[in-house]
Amino acid sequence: MSRDDLINQLRAIVGEKYLLLEKEDVIVYEQDGSILQAMPEIVVLPGNAGEVAEVVKAAKRAGAPIVPRGSGTGLAGGAVPAEGGIVLSLARLNRILEIDLKNRLAVVEPGVINLDVSKAIAQDGFFYAPDPSSQAACSIGGNVANNSGGPHTLAYGVTTNHVLGVEVVLDDGRVVWLGGRVADSPGYDLCGVFVGSEGTMGIVTKAAVRLMRTRESVRTLLAVFDRTEAATKTVVDVTAAGIIPAALEMMDRLTISAVAQAVPGVYPRDAEAVLLVEVEGLTETTERAIRLVQTICERSGAREVRIAANQAERQLLWKGRKEAFGAMGLLAPNYYVQDGVVPRSRLPEIMKQVAEIGERYRLRIANVFHAGDGNLHPNILFDMRAPGELDRVIEAGAAILKACVDAGGSITGEHGIGLEKKAYIGLLFNEYDLEAMARVRRVFDPEGRFNPAKLFPTPVSCGEVRRQPQTIPAGLWI
Amino acid sequence: MKLSGEALRARLEQELGAESVEFRPLFLEAYAVDGKSPGLLCLPAGPEEVASVLRLCAENQASVIPWGGGTSMSLGNIPRAAGVVVGLEKLAQLIEHDDANLTATAQAGMQVAAFQELLGQRRQFFPVDPPLAQLATLGGIVAANVNGPRRMQYGGVRDLTIGMKVALATGEQIKSGGKVVKNVAGYDLCKLFVGSLGTLGIITEVTLRMAPLPDSAASVVAAGPLDRCARFVEQLSDGPLLPAAVTILSAGGNAQTPAVATWVEGFEEAVARQLRDLAALADEAGLASEALRQEPHRRLWEEVEDFGANGEGVLFRIAVPIGAMGEILATIDRWSGEAATPARYVAHAGTGTVWLLAGNDPSSLGWFPRLIALAQGHKGHVVVAAAPPELKAGIDVWGPAPASLGLMREIKRRFDPQEILNPGRFLGGL
Repeated sequence: MSRDDLINQLRAIVGEKYLLLEKEDVIVYEQDGSILQAMPEIVVLPGNAGEVAEVVKAAKRAGAPIVPRGSGTGLAGGAVPAEGGIVLSLARLNRILEIDLKNRLAVVEPGVINLDVSKAIAQDGFFYAPDPSSQAACSIGGNVANNSGGPHTLAYGVTTNHVLGVEVVLDDGRVVWLGGRVADSPGYDLCGVFVGSEGTMGIVTKAAVRLMRTRESVRTLLAVFDRTEAATKTVVDVTAAGIIPAALEMMDRLTISAVAQAVPGVYPRDAEAVLLVEVEGLTETTERAIRLVQTICERSGAREVRIAANQAERQLLWKGRKEAFGAMGLLAPNYYVQDGVVPRSRLPEIMKQVAEIGERYRLRIANVFHAGDGNLHPNILFDMRAPGELDRVIEAGAAILKACVDAGGSITGEHGIGLEKKAYIGLLFNEYDLEAMARVRRVFDPEGRFNPAKLFPTPVSCGEVRRQPQTIPAGLWI
Repeated sequence: MKLSGEALRARLEQELGAESVEFRPLFLEAYAVDGKSPGLLCLPAGPEEVASVLRLCAENQASVIPWGGGTSMSLGNIPRAAGVVVGLEKLAQLIEHDDANLTATAQAGMQVAAFQELLGQRRQFFPVDPPLAQLATLGGIVAANVNGPRRMQYGGVRDLTIGMKVALATGEQIKSGGKVVKNVAGYDLCKLFVGSLGTLGIITEVTLRMAPLPDSAASVVAAGPLDRCARFVEQLSDGPLLPAAVTILSAGGNAQTPAVATWVEGFEEAVARQLRDLAALADEAGLASEALRQEPHRRLWEEVEDFGANGEGVLFRIAVPIGAMGEILATIDRWSGEAATPARYVAHAGTGTVWLLAGNDPSSLGWFPRLIALAQGHKGHVVVAAAPPELKAGIDVWGPAPASLGLMREIKRRFDPQEILNPGRFLGGL
């Protein structure tokens, strides 16, 4: 089928308005939240699952790749059309189809914004637990594809723990449900395998997600440290004491200095590290837990421990954390965020290694991360205009990932492999492990047209991928 | 060239040592699956040997039945063949309890109770409560996706399994996931193997999430008519309390009426408050309640966990949305009243799983189509979790096949092209 035939068919399916071909229209889709770019050839925005299926069928007839796209907030290049083909935006499938509080579930379309699910049920005392930091912008479909996490996944788990079933369009355009509305659907857990497959198995057109009841009590504490090591050790000690906080976040000196400019008066400017600890549950539980955390912080040498007395204070403490990503712009023209994971007991040593890597590559690194589950987010600061600096940044990023793997961790905790990390997946998995994954891929996508050149360590892609920083959308934080 | 049974045995003996290969029929009867005795029992000493056995069996098209503690062997359809049972009893080592990270890695043949005992030394536990924990193995409960009452608080086996090593039917050994709780590198193949009943490979090692042992634990048992029990559960679920388990127990045995058992644990002051609030809820619902601690608490839940696990009848597992539980149980009670022998159940109200035990006679199968229709009316499903082989013949114990059966078939074909692993036991004859 010729390119013109494909375009005509797509136009017939989605209508003129929702088929984008001109450079000025498609350029918006050349990038996600990462620094990777590739100019799309064709962008379609189907309006319902039936149209998605027809687009997939047309793509199959034409042998064209399909790159599904949610809100484009991904940080690993997962939505970048590296091999050309069709960028399929799910933005118009944005309805919450059903909220069933009695059964604690909602059925939503993939383009629904994560935060909108929680907003729709907040007044009834419920929430949707996975809260990726981009939750005001990112979509449920994107969360499913990336098995997204967030600060509060420490206690409640990541996306895969909250998705009961997904309706997906398969490579031949068939629409099937994987999983369902209750647990333990007979047969292989295809829903579980699909979640986190980064758009390489099919396209989500509906998701049944679990809803949780809001806890009666939330307590939040800020601990200020003069030594990074005292902060990381506190993280280890909190867990050792049998406390599982809902969130346990850490920021280092460089990050604090940026936040202090963006949101003055929340964190002391001269602190070496701060921890933000939140516990949720019954009043009796949170009261005791927050006091225990306070004691542990003080014993580890925190110079100040502040427990939020009310909702306003709590929000202020979180405001600093939420502004951290945006505040990076105050430190350097560009930054590159990494996403390594280590067992939390290895935090003290990995933080030292990250600092050493920064020195070795002559780069400043600002850390703001989910310390409770050992999920690092080192932000490597740089200036794109300085010749050779980006190459050093990429090398430093790779060195950090290698250090995480050596410490028994992983190369990505919540951002995914995408384009960005496919060269590093071999640090974790050997050829047999990857071949087992590829077998599953071939079941779902025998022709390799769903998001090609992602996740698996394929040779360099034939399309042109460029590395460019983009302006981070307001409100995006990691 | 395919070896004869005799020659395969010789090759396996060569590989594992003669003492690790049993062929005498008298010893093999204990390893019969649905009445089919295997031709051989192999006891590999490590993951390498598991892979070797699989490779040899694949080369010779000999069927393989993986065997942990044997506590889930009634699950599944009658196997088409039972050639070689691969027992995991020699893979029983704890590899690492990383208490600072609330994870532990162990070999698949380790028994759950033994595992818990070691974890307890560092004040942690694995928060799954399988039946027959003294016998059940970690690999077995992962492969069979066995969960218990506290799934409501801690999540299920699929949520708690973060890494594993598997020997594939094609002889390769692979790993999936890792040792960290947050990890999205590559496909999550752990999910594929959890609940796959040994039809895609043999799990040799698992890494699991742990939980801190609670300071205190107790239960409230509130007894009375089913509609009041259901109202109690509804009120409880609409309120702020965070129980670890909520289970409705049918009348029958020593119980004159149904009852709701609620398990609470954590800091003592939180436990005390929940016991108070639960007693008040029971009062409001018109139920007679009693708080249990220590030994009575422990015994109650052991009975709940072991319900139906001793092969004393036909056991159904019904999964329904939690909001439909009251209605489902009322219907079951009505049918049970009409039956020659009444059925009994334990129903985990927080997760929507009902275990229904009917008598050990052919009429019990009459429940199956009715339960399927009932569950499907709520978009749920039913599995015959255990039944004597003569009753299983001619049915698919997994119920009607889902629309994704074609994909599952294709997965099976790619992981086990010769269909040597547990042939026919899984859904749709996989």
